[in-house]
Amino acid sequence: MSATTLDHDHAHAHDHHEPGFLRKYVWSTDHKVIGLQYGLTGLLFLLFGFFLMLLMRWSIAYPGEPVPAVEAIRNIPLIKDLFEAMFGRWLNPDGSLNGELYNMLGAMHGTIMVFFGIVPLGFAGFVNFVMPLQIGTIDMAFPKLNMLSYWFFFVSGVLMMYSFFVGTGPVQTGWTMYSPLATTTTLGVTNVWQHGHTWWLTAMVFNISASLLGSVNVIATIINLRAKGLGWMKMPFFCWAMFVTAFLLLLAFPPLEVAAILQLSDRVFGSSFYLPTGLMEGGKHLDISGGGSPLLYQHLFWFLAHPEVYVLILPAFAILTDVIPCNARRPLWGYKSMVYSVLTLGFLSFLVWAHHMYLTGMGTMMSTYFQITTVLISVPSVILLTCLMISLWGGSIRFNTQMLFASAFLPMFGIGGLTGLPLAFSFIDLAMHDTYYVIGHFHYVVAPGTIFALFAGVYHWFPKFTGRYMNDKLGKLHFWPSLLGMNLIFAPMFIQGMAGFHRRWYDGGKYFENTSGFTHWSTTLTHKVGAFFGLDIPDNMLSLNIVMSVGAFILALGQIPFIINFWFSIKGGKKAENDNPWGATTMEWATPTPPGHGNFLFEPVAHRGPYEYSVPGHPVDFFPQWESEHGKPKPDGSDAPAKTEHAATHH
Amino acid sequence: MSDNIEEIQKSIKKYLIIGALLIVFTVITVWLSYVELPTHGLNILVGMIVATFKASLVALIFMHLNHEKSVIYKTLVFTVVLVFVLFVLFYFSKMDPLVFDGFYKLSE
Amino acid sequence: MDIPYTVHARPDTGLYNAKIGIWLFLASEVMLFGGLFSAYIFLRLGADYPWPVHDLDVTLGFWNTIVLIASSVTVVMAWASVKLRRYGQYKIYMAITVICAGVFMFNKSLEYKAKLKHYAVKLTDGTILTGHMPEDEHHNTIPYRIKFGEITELSLTIPVKKSAITADPVGYVIPHIEGEAPKFKTADGKEITLDDAAFAELSAAAVEKAWAEGKGSATVKLTAVTPLKAAAKPSEIFGYTADSITFRDGTTAKGKLLDDKMTLLVDGIDARGVAQPDKSLAFDHRYLGAWQPAFVANREHHIAEFEENYPTRDKEKSATLQKESLFYKIHSSTPPAADAAHGGDKHGAEAHAPAEGGHGGGHDYPTVVIDKKDITFFSNFTPKLNTYYAIYFTLTGLHGLHVVAGALVLLYFLVFNGRMLREDPEHLANRIEVGGLFWHFVDLVWIFLFPLLYLL
Ligand code: HEM
Ligand SMILES: [Cu+2]
Repeated sequence: MSATTLDHDHAHAHDHHEPGFLRKYVWSTDHKVIGLQYGLTGLLFLLFGFFLMLLMRWSIAYPGEPVPAVEAIRNIPLIKDLFEAMFGRWLNPDGSLNGELYNMLGAMHGTIMVFFGIVPLGFAGFVNFVMPLQIGTIDMAFPKLNMLSYWFFFVSGVLMMYSFFVGTGPVQTGWTMYSPLATTTTLGVTNVWQHGHTWWLTAMVFNISASLLGSVNVIATIINLRAKGLGWMKMPFFCWAMFVTAFLLLLAFPPLEVAAILQLSDRVFGSSFYLPTGLMEGGKHLDISGGGSPLLYQHLFWFLAHPEVYVLILPAFAILTDVIPCNARRPLWGYKSMVYSVLTLGFLSFLVWAHHMYLTGMGTMMSTYFQITTVLISVPSVILLTCLMISLWGGSIRFNTQMLFASAFLPMFGIGGLTGLPLAFSFIDLAMHDTYYVIGHFHYVVAPGTIFALFAGVYHWFPKFTGRYMNDKLGKLHFWPSLLGMNLIFAPMFIQGMAGFHRRWYDGGKYFENTSGFTHWSTTLTHKVGAFFGLDIPDNMLSLNIVMSVGAFILALGQIPFIINFWFSIKGGKKAENDNPWGATTMEWATPTPPGHGNFLFEPVAHRGPYEYSVPGHPVDFFPQWESEHGKPKPDGSDAPAKTEHAATHH
Repeated sequence: MSDNIEEIQKSIKKYLIIGALLIVFTVITVWLSYVELPTHGLNILVGMIVATFKASLVALIFMHLNHEKSVIYKTLVFTVVLVFVLFVLFYFSKMDPLVFDGFYKLSE
Repeated sequence: MDIPYTVHARPDTGLYNAKIGIWLFLASEVMLFGGLFSAYIFLRLGADYPWPVHDLDVTLGFWNTIVLIASSVTVVMAWASVKLRRYGQYKIYMAITVICAGVFMFNKSLEYKAKLKHYAVKLTDGTILTGHMPEDEHHNTIPYRIKFGEITELSLTIPVKKSAITADPVGYVIPHIEGEAPKFKTADGKEITLDDAAFAELSAAAVEKAWAEGKGSATVKLTAVTPLKAAAKPSEIFGYTADSITFRDGTTAKGKLLDDKMTLLVDGIDARGVAQPDKSLAFDHRYLGAWQPAFVANREHHIAEFEENYPTRDKEKSATLQKESLFYKIHSSTPPAADAAHGGDKHGAEAHAPAEGGHGGGHDYPTVVIDKKDITFFSNFTPKLNTYYAIYFTLTGLHGLHVVAGALVLLYFLVFNGRMLREDPEHLANRIEVGGLFWHFVDLVWIFLFPLLYLL
């Protein structure tokens, strides 16, 4: 394995100029490096978004109380200035959060998690690293565009972060950026470049361009560069799910771009796309022509944003369809129905967007239509989940870290999905809309759902990136607190939401006595547990805020083992025994570890379907796609039918 | 697109004809827009039909969609369906048939 | 190792990579313009004003359409020429294509430019007056400004807690004051010029004091050493009364209102939004009173004509008739005032669509001085004017960007790919096909844009 890789790399280096560090890791066109770049940037953004959330949770649980450690931070040189510029300048003089800062944190948390964390890591990161290997090709169809895609994304990230530093601070109007509020805020400041908002919109334009380039690349690669023998129905489900995701990105993002351009025009040129006639602010008519409609914004936004939520979840399914069969040593159950489901899901996800808009008064016919499609779309989602569950049936499951995360995903996503169903009905949504119930719903899908799957993916492919395993003990130390923390945060949200807690209250409902006075077994329990530890937690809905904040804290602690594990294992982890340490069947495991430039040492040919685990009569419990018969060709290519003519021209 | 030299030679003439047709239909569009049909909605409908016809000429002949590969057809059909959904739903979100009678704006 | 299928098609899909790439890209472009067109549908259906029809320069739009169609033909001919290895022809065709793009953009810029100088002013009763601002002898527009004089005192409100919008006289007040670096006296008699440093000092002291007194904000008063004059666009200030003006940062100045009247060289009276069009505010004796008979005559003329041509049709429902009879256009050759009434003179009344207003001078237009209290809204013909112009600029602007981008790519092929043309013409043919596909798409979008924005 690694020895051969080294040789391979050497041979390579002599023919070309030694690619310098910059060419190799920064301006790289190699899909694996780009995948890593995307993945690492995504992880960093996830961490940052998580940090924003911790600040918010503090304010919710302890409104009006100084944020702990602020004083300490304000004493560290350098960090102090950074903290002051980003957050400190908005804090109350006593160091507590106020509504304005909370709004900034909330908006940026949502934006960063969705557009800068999960999509780059889950989609761009994994698809870039894994997909070309799985379909047995040497790189993406357009490597230069691929590099451009990452750098567009990078620029968009920089612009987004820059918005923390400008005059008005970052946006305050939620990740959904609803007009007219989002159109008119901070317009008092005439220099538009001092508006966090302008930077948000500009960053989004770059972000959209990046995902456009990325998705064109992914689709073209899957269509045209599949290895010999890899027919559509032999393709791992991972690639199918990513293929559909790429289509969602390709076709759903442009309307968001439209939405952003029109909003920018409203703000900068004073047009009225989203501003109705007669709009007033502060008792004065605005200097606008009017004639537009806030509904237009919502339509354009949700046309993207619903498919976007499937962009968040499909990579999770993609990863799990590799992790679960591999660790259950069972073929994926219902591969075909999963493929058709995911295609249906992709299509339907474009037709349900206005279920986010039941309360806008968009009209009864629209509501009816969108209720029907929304209920329909849960069918393919359920099929996907069910297939994954049945795949476990009769398996001999290896509970390594990735499998723990994978198996926790199933119930967590189940909760998230099932709580979405009631929301599909407009009459229930009337009560639930914009409450914590909705927050609970989508966080269950995205956080213990998608993020767990992403962790599973990291643990699963780590040996391919680096040739070393991640530590299993630390992995478990990562998993259990995460599971506990996630549920402590998100489960109480359903209770609170049904009690009428509105989202985006920076003080966690403290000043809304009517909605926070209820008791419930969960609040009583909290009260009693608190008393046991000598804490005075009131017996009402507000107590759940404290539970959630404790959960967030546990979750934060739980990530420390992961970070240590990740960096430590790169150099110090246990070495993987061979190129296919998990005994997997898909083609990425046929490459040397880590795969060199050009990936394969022999021309991979797909001889069978992707999930041939525990084939009766086969000497081992997996039968990889690339083997014509057991053990052939050897992974180092030594007995492969001489390297292809491509290789010949190359060397 | 076929790489056949003869076919390309033949199609050159076709391209010129299509170009001329497009110009003719542009004139027709302009003229039609000044004709007062019973409702302005009808004017729009007619105008859009002509425009769609012109657009299909461009797509079919200039962009060679008259003989393309199935992958591209599938992608485009999917996309066009989505655009159409977008149009129709945006239309109906303004024109809820339950509270509005008739095919609005064609009757006005 | 090279990526397969960059030049030749993969047998089972029949496509080379770039072709898949460009079609996917176009699919996403379809969604982009699809989104914009659906916004158009939405805005048009929701418009609460008569949607402009035939308001743009149709002739210009028509020629631009022809230019784009021509370029579409030449680009496909360029591709065919490479396939047939007729290199000379290829270069000519490609060059023509790029030139067409240039012509198109040139025309577009003419169209845009005319709009920037053309204004519409909405009066309180819904009448819209269109026209130009007066010009000085160098043909520079004299803009509309609220003018203040005898400014003696500035009063700044500085909040204690930092917030997005705070008193910022350096940015929001000083730029509107006439003269270099005006001097002020602070409460304790110090003389200062207001710049960033001075203001920072001032506000720090004030905030400290307010904080100590437990107040939410501090008020700082500055006295001008010599009385000052200020002039500002209405959008640059929050409001004003006869003796005070409030700037966007909340700073208030005491002074005397000198002038808030708007001078407009009127080229059109749009009375479609008025309940009784011939009683429109435009025909107030201070404004265009003398033109009312001409307006009425014009309206009657058009109604009569309509009834003759379409006897069975409801004239209330014809948008075209509404426009012809209630949007009275004044051209520099329109016979002034009452004369027109007698002739019922069609030529005079209709003139050339002055909405395009190519003429900068317009000395023959009636000059009207409008009271501020009669104006509800005004704008030049930019996205601000109404949702139609907003979507017009967005659609054509984005389309224009596509034209420029496409032309640059084609130009690149022409100029820099000479070697590929000789050595690997098949590869270049692919490139041109891909670039051409994009170019045709741009043409295709225009095919819809032209009728939707110019004609219907
Ligand atoms: C399984 C079927 C699902 C159904 C029926 C469903 C239904 C809904 C509905 C009706 C809402 C709107 C609630 C409201 O705002 O009042 C909603 C919100 C949301 N859903 Fe789902 N959902 C499903 C799955 C998912 C998945 C898989 C994800 C993400 C990976 C997701 C993410 C979200 C998000 C992010 C929001 C809230 C957006 C916001 O308002 O900020 N949902 N869901
Ligand atoms: Cu949704």
